[in-house]
Amino acid sequence: MIEVQSLSKHFGATKAVDDISFALGKGEVVGFLGPNGAGKTTTIRVLTCYHPATSGSAKVAGFDVFAQPVEVRRRIGYLTENVPLYPELRVEEFLRYRAALKGVPRLRRRVAVEAAMERCGVVEVRRKLIGKVSRGYRQRVGLADALVADPPILILDEPTSGLDPNQRRRIKTLVRDLGEDRTVLFSSHILAEVEDVSSRVIIIDRGKIKADGDPRQLLAHSEGRRLVVCAAASPDALRACLGEVAGSCGVREPVRDGAFTTLCYDLEAGADPRDSAFERLQGAGLRIRELKLELPTLEEFFARVTGRAGDAAVQEVAS
Amino acid sequence: MGVILATTRKELMSYLFSPVAYIIAVILYLWRGAEVYRLVYFAADAHYDTRTFLSYYIIYGGCTYAFCVLVPPILTMRCFAEERRTGSLEVLMTAPVRDAEIVLGKWLAALVFYGLLWLPTLVILQVLASGPFLDQSFHLGTVVSGYLGLALLGSALLAFGVFTSSLTDNVLLASMLGIIFNLAVMTTGMVQPYLRDWLGDSYLLNVFIEQTSVFEHLRDWFGRGQVDSSKVVFYLAATALFLFLTVRSLETRKWR
Repeated sequence: MIEVQSLSKHFGATKAVDDISFALGKGEVVGFLGPNGAGKTTTIRVLTCYHPATSGSAKVAGFDVFAQPVEVRRRIGYLTENVPLYPELRVEEFLRYRAALKGVPRLRRRVAVEAAMERCGVVEVRRKLIGKVSRGYRQRVGLADALVADPPILILDEPTSGLDPNQRRRIKTLVRDLGEDRTVLFSSHILAEVEDVSSRVIIIDRGKIKADGDPRQLLAHSEGRRLVVCAAASPDALRACLGEVAGSCGVREPVRDGAFTTLCYDLEAGADPRDSAFERLQGAGLRIRELKLELPTLEEFFARVTGRAGDAAVQEVAS
Repeated sequence: MGVILATTRKELMSYLFSPVAYIIAVILYLWRGAEVYRLVYFAADAHYDTRTFLSYYIIYGGCTYAFCVLVPPILTMRCFAEERRTGSLEVLMTAPVRDAEIVLGKWLAALVFYGLLWLPTLVILQVLASGPFLDQSFHLGTVVSGYLGLALLGSALLAFGVFTSSLTDNVLLASMLGIIFNLAVMTTGMVQPYLRDWLGDSYLLNVFIEQTSVFEHLRDWFGRGQVDSSKVVFYLAATALFLFLTVRSLETRKWR
């Protein structure tokens, strides 16, 4: 549904997006991740034909974004980052207006607006002025606007920014439901969200794609996994008992808790020494409290691929 | 067409619910009331011809002048400047619409609302014609041509206002640019002798002054029932030019 071929967008000397390529199939829900200023919004604006690319091409539902912008926009529901709406209109009036702009036939407009309001949970504020409703509602009105013409493709730019946890959960559920019969591309810098909702993430940083794939697969194959062992022994005894852990590339300071010691080994990508460690501990007759393989969180993975591992470590210490 | 009408409807709704336009209208109508009062006294004494009366009724004193200079830019200043400032321009322009449709819709809404603001002057005219004030009926042709002139002038000035609004994200700046432009075109006729002294008496200058003296067009042509096609074309062409420039100005977002 969306095809991007070596797309670049420069603003003067700044390369906001630098030669990226990706493709989205029908029915995919894809998280578009990146730190602020990574080029997410720029890419999205090219896809929604708001500004043209410097070079490369992009096709949405088979239509070129440069040559056939109106056809492209007809097939896209777009939620902008800050959801700027007209404060002087009522929610329902606004959605009617948007439905008319998007070419929903007059006779179907009422039904389409009703359905979109129902789906996004804004029915209770339909008669309120947009300027008077809360941030969460405004976000949902924006989402209802994106849905009102029932487009096959949804592009959502940070749909959960500035919302409280409950509102965030509602939006996430909604996005997941929408993904059942639509292609959804949504950007975010909150990783946990993406993990919950999407079957695929594209990580972009400084205009380049750093990773693209199923988040679970990406994590399983990435570096940064750890083996955590907790058993009743002194640190030295435990270390001696485990000996050379296969695939280990370092061990962290042991943590003591009464008679128990916790050791944490950093492992290379793909290593899984749980079985051998268990056998050794059992052979030495040590009481085992914990033995687990820890995969990096998406946060750590993100920090790693965007070259900001140092920041993540600092955050970990702080928390 | 659907997009144009939807935009017009929405913009009209915004105009109707915004207090600014009403405040200006009230002030200008107070002013107009005082002027009409004086005019009627004056006219009754001088036994005015009904034809010239309409011309004076429309342009008499400073009220029409202020109306034409101030109201169009104030109506149109928000058109694009506000959308740019809040960012809703992105929402608007990523809907399946053409730039030209949005521009036309917004201009049309401004024109309709501008027309509504002029409507009460017709009521005043009716009162003058029927009551004990002048007790003269006005020639329908003169009335139609007078208001046609006002509408044509309004359409060009509003188109310019829409254009200035598309240039900036600052609403105040947009209205100021419009007001300065309107002051200039409304004043050409008055400064005509000075312009001649300064630039010499040339054919081109005369044509230029003749074509751009919009206040004189109202007073000497439309207000007296004379519809000159060259002037009609002038206003329509000016409207088209400014709307075209607006579309182009919106397009510049694409190569920034």
